[in-house]
Amino acid sequence: MWRNRRRSLITISSVLFALFLALIMRSMQLGQYKQMIESAVKSSTGFIQIHDKGYWEDKTIDNTFVFDSTLSERVRSTGNVSRAIPRLESFALVSSGRQTKGVAVIGTIPAEEDYASGLHTRLVRGEMLSAGDQGVLIGEGLADYLQSGVGDTIVLLGQGYHGVTAAGTFPVRGIIRFIQPDQNNSMLYMTLPMAQQLYASEGRLTSLSVMLNNTDKLEETRSALQAIDPDNLEFMTWREMLRELLQAIEGDNISGQFMLGILYMVVGFGILGTVLMMTVERRKEFGIMVAVGMRRSKLLVIVLIETFMIGVTGILAGIALSIPVLVYLQHYPITLTGEAAKAMLEYNMPPEMPVLLEPGFFVTQALVVLAITFLTALYPVRVISRFQVVKAIKS
Amino acid sequence: MNPMKTFRIAILFAIAFLLSLAMNAQELTAKEIIRKANDKVNGLSSQGTMKMTIARPDWSREVTMKTWSKGTEYYMIYITAPARDQGQVFMKHGNDMWNWMPAINRMIKLPPSMMSQSWMGSDFTNDDLVRMNSIVEDFDHTIISSEVIGDYDCFKIELVPHEDAAVVWGKILFWVSKKEFYELKAEYYDEDGLLVSTMTGTEIRSMGDRMLPAVMTMVPADKPGNKTIMEMVDVKFNVPIDDSFFSQQNMKNLR
Repeated sequence: MWRNRRRSLITISSVLFALFLALIMRSMQLGQYKQMIESAVKSSTGFIQIHDKGYWEDKTIDNTFVFDSTLSERVRSTGNVSRAIPRLESFALVSSGRQTKGVAVIGTIPAEEDYASGLHTRLVRGEMLSAGDQGVLIGEGLADYLQSGVGDTIVLLGQGYHGVTAAGTFPVRGIIRFIQPDQNNSMLYMTLPMAQQLYASEGRLTSLSVMLNNTDKLEETRSALQAIDPDNLEFMTWREMLRELLQAIEGDNISGQFMLGILYMVVGFGILGTVLMMTVERRKEFGIMVAVGMRRSKLLVIVLIETFMIGVTGILAGIALSIPVLVYLQHYPITLTGEAAKAMLEYNMPPEMPVLLEPGFFVTQALVVLAITFLTALYPVRVISRFQVVKAIKS
Repeated sequence: MNPMKTFRIAILFAIAFLLSLAMNAQELTAKEIIRKANDKVNGLSSQGTMKMTIARPDWSREVTMKTWSKGTEYYMIYITAPARDQGQVFMKHGNDMWNWMPAINRMIKLPPSMMSQSWMGSDFTNDDLVRMNSIVEDFDHTIISSEVIGDYDCFKIELVPHEDAAVVWGKILFWVSKKEFYELKAEYYDEDGLLVSTMTGTEIRSMGDRMLPAVMTMVPADKPGNKTIMEMVDVKFNVPIDDSFFSQQNMKNLR
């Protein structure tokens, strides 16, 4: 192997860089997915959501469930549960006197909602709701349409629990700028007790969003929660509720793997090149060895070992190089600045590129490179098994 | 008396009597049957209290109201119970429906887009309430057959709306008792010929100056577990009411 030092080194470094790039790229990708998922899930459905049975298919105010201290206690004391955010959501017509529009009313606990979606960072006018507030927060687009500002009164009209009329007047406490236009134009927040009173559904919720400490234990936690009341309540994970997010990530994942595949093909050809050259150069040498009495099979083994050694050295070097880099990035992630940073903040994500270290990942990548190396070794195997001794010596 | 004069008077009476017999023997047209049935329920005017029960598989709720009506153009409903809905007023004024909501201090004119929404969470739509009385004028009526419902022999009449009539139904079938003109059953079909809902009239009682079914039950065809029951608790007919009673201003004054 060390006969032609330069050539071997070149091959080793190509394997090294391939592995290095692959590991860094994938770790970043996976880290990004995880961050996206966590922030999207946190600010919308929560990792696990509890509803009245049948609510997800038929989201009406009549499909609400009673949320008392017993249920609260049992949910919050389930392993891996960090928080449970209660909400009552429904539809209403809102009117400012000048204009009327259909809106989504979300009754929630202001502090919890802020934790979930960073609501206060998007407040553009007025104030956030206090704990017992009787006012509402409306989207900026909605405020413009209604021509309502902070302090103006708006009227809500809808249908409450069991068909009772839901009607009330509320002062606008603050205006929120949402990123997505349809949210900006039709969302309204009020405190949970106010919503329950408006819709004649005191003590009831449309959903309870559960946040987890360890997001990898999703199914386990769901089963644990389900045991609380499997007959009357339904327990859904974000994967079931946010199908589009799941599919978007899967799609991106596949394209990432595709890229990786291309990378490996390139590397594979690089190794093949080296092996090819090596084999051709040594024909004479192989010829003499066989003529002198060495068994071809033994020669085969020697060559194979050489090839593998190149591969393994490359792999180990690649891993050795990437580990410190990844560990560093995990603790000190690359921070984004400027426009990119602003965009990340809007989505309630910290403006940095996270990396995800997964031990299994290292192993799989190493094995893939090893397999590629093995494939390239097939060429010399073929040559060695076939060549004619005399011709080889003469070459 | 002059015998000649007596004879003439007797003949006159005889002719009058025979004529009246003849008139009675004349078949009533389908339109007239419907008109008579409708008049029975509405009268020239009415005033009273009603109770509506909304029944669902899991729950039910009662709404009580005071009602006033005049002809086919005007009626007024004032909700007396339950507490959350109390004080709301609905008024039909021609083809418009107005809703006064004291809780939010708003007078709402129901836009056409809201007409097909349920009224107070019941199986009636706003449109049902406004159009209740157009069954005489906006339709062509044909007697199809006779059927017996309960103790009553009824005409089964088919109502098909006029081309230009603002009616949501494709067809209505009415069962009206032959002698008393009680509206005992009605089936409402949409424009594709599918049954949408069925109304049945029961509990024939004396109400004011007439006998009629005091309880009307409406069952939607697509949700057989649901029904809405409208009961006339106490209604007087042909009471004097001014047209001016039916005004937005008056809606706010009702108690």
